[in-house]
Amino acid sequence: MRTVTRGPAVPAAFAAALLTALAARAGEAAPRRPAERLGPPPPPRPARVVSLAPSLTDTVLALGEGARLVGVTRYDTAPAVKDLPRVGGFLDPSPEVVLGLRPDLVLWLTDAGAWPAVRRIAELGVPVLAIPVVGVPDVLASARLVGEALGAPEAGERLARSLGAAVADAERRAASLPRRRVLIVIGRDPLVVAGPGSYPDALLRIAGGENVVRGDRPWPVYALERAVADDPELVLDAAVNEPPETVLRLSAIPAVRAGRVVRLPDDRVLRPGPELPRALAELLSAVHPEAARP
Amino acid sequence: MRPAGLRPGWALAAGIAALVAAFALALVLGPQPVSIRAALAGAEPDRAILFGLRLPRAALGALVGAALAAAGVALQALLRNPLADPFVLGVSGGAALGGTAVLAASAAIGAATPLGALAGSGSAVAIGASAGAAASTALVFALGRVGGRLVPEAALLVGVVFNAFAAGVVTLVKVMVPPEQAARMLYWLMGALGYASGGALAAGAVLVTASLAALAVLSGQLNLLSLGDEEAASLGVEVGRARGAVFLAASAATGAAVALAGMVGFVGLIVPHFLRRAFGPDHRLLVPAAALFGAAFLLLADLAARLAFLSLGSEPPVGALTALAGGPFFLWLLRRTERGG
Repeated sequence: MRTVTRGPAVPAAFAAALLTALAARAGEAAPRRPAERLGPPPPPRPARVVSLAPSLTDTVLALGEGARLVGVTRYDTAPAVKDLPRVGGFLDPSPEVVLGLRPDLVLWLTDAGAWPAVRRIAELGVPVLAIPVVGVPDVLASARLVGEALGAPEAGERLARSLGAAVADAERRAASLPRRRVLIVIGRDPLVVAGPGSYPDALLRIAGGENVVRGDRPWPVYALERAVADDPELVLDAAVNEPPETVLRLSAIPAVRAGRVVRLPDDRVLRPGPELPRALAELLSAVHPEAARP
Repeated sequence: MRPAGLRPGWALAAGIAALVAAFALALVLGPQPVSIRAALAGAEPDRAILFGLRLPRAALGALVGAALAAAGVALQALLRNPLADPFVLGVSGGAALGGTAVLAASAAIGAATPLGALAGSGSAVAIGASAGAAASTALVFALGRVGGRLVPEAALLVGVVFNAFAAGVVTLVKVMVPPEQAARMLYWLMGALGYASGGALAAGAVLVTASLAALAVLSGQLNLLSLGDEEAASLGVEVGRARGAVFLAASAATGAAVALAGMVGFVGLIVPHFLRRAFGPDHRLLVPAAALFGAAFLLLADLAARLAFLSLGSEPPVGALTALAGGPFFLWLLRRTERGG
């Protein structure tokens, strides 16, 4: 059979592609994938490490190996790395600056935006450890992975265990408490919330909360009237880079009007990394103020 | 009439010199100081930065600049208007739409193996972008006709409106795809010269070279077409066929450029304008000169973007810089054209 392509074929192909895109579901598009090594194998104890994500920087610091870092992103705020060279951002690391630091290991939080740059870095002979971090199990796994890659597997194991213990502790404490219905606000204008499949959603579940947001998108732009109809018992204000009083723009939500708003102290707690215990403590005391103190 | 009577040989020699100089600067300068001697001796990281990063990126910039400037010359001849630029006319918008559709489809289909799917989709995006460019060119020139005659202002308006439409659809697709895919699209569409894989670069080089060669072959007919349809026909040009061939070549060049580097605007406006002033209106000279000077122009613009890293700690996409220069330039040119100057 011969396929004849004529004029209408092009618009038809566009339409098909758009329909396929419509059918794509964000939740399913983030499957758990294993960590990957790109480029040549790293030395057993890398001495010059570049971190391409603040949460991975935090992990290296938590392992007590901060002295081996030679470069971090421009979003890194930890005091221990404030004098280190910046290699660009999350989406736009500069391969030239990374190579110029002569790293023997690059830690990368898997992210499609930086993929061409990271692939090139690996092709040019720099060992890259690509770590996917989506959920809480990934945070524990990444502590072990970074520990192993730095030649400090015991420290990695210790960190992973202590993070695991914090999760188990929070779950145990939340188990006997009523589940509260919570809305997690990530951005105000437009209203962006943490949906199912996002890291804050996973933390909330551990801390005995129930996300009022349904659906399959981890970071949906949310209609304010839906938030009103959801009628959460508590609004968790994670938009910490905006002034606190601007949450009043959401005062159509009954919980905001009634002052049932808890603001997170900083945006580091929601980084999927060693801040996990602090994040769980914050969420636990926000969701269950009556029972949070041990 | 040739205002500044430079001989064609000299003009092309100047173009080659400009390209070589820009290429050399793109290799030598960057946020990281490197030593050429060390690089040639094989010392790291100098060798990797020079030959692994700057060389392929310079090649990419040269290809994209050459394609956009030559496509601009061709479209300006067809439309008989100096304001016709692949970006302004909506051809880049169509290419972005086509490429985005392919990206979105790859996100939907290849979700199980994102890295593999992303790596493999470079040529698919190029094909989608070229198809989108061809479709939007056809649309602009079909709807730009009033009473059977091509009216440049109408075609330009159609292009502007189509750009807005394409931007809307692209935004819609961005909302629908997973966030990491959306971030990748955003960065691509901003018009950044990044680090295309060797395969994508080779495919782009073939497509750009072929379409530039086609435009060079057609450049004699472009001279006649720029006189208007009736005049060209009376001089023995098969107007429909010739115009179709130019459409196709300009679309393929723009599609390849957009697939490689996203929406880099106004290169096809700025470069041809200065070349026409310097070398006169002969398209047999303008097409190759636009390819050479366009390549040099984009290399220098990208160099500025890379050096901005030093002060910003980040690299603005080169498309932002060309738009910064091109937007005011377009308005200036518009005022001048209105005054008949």
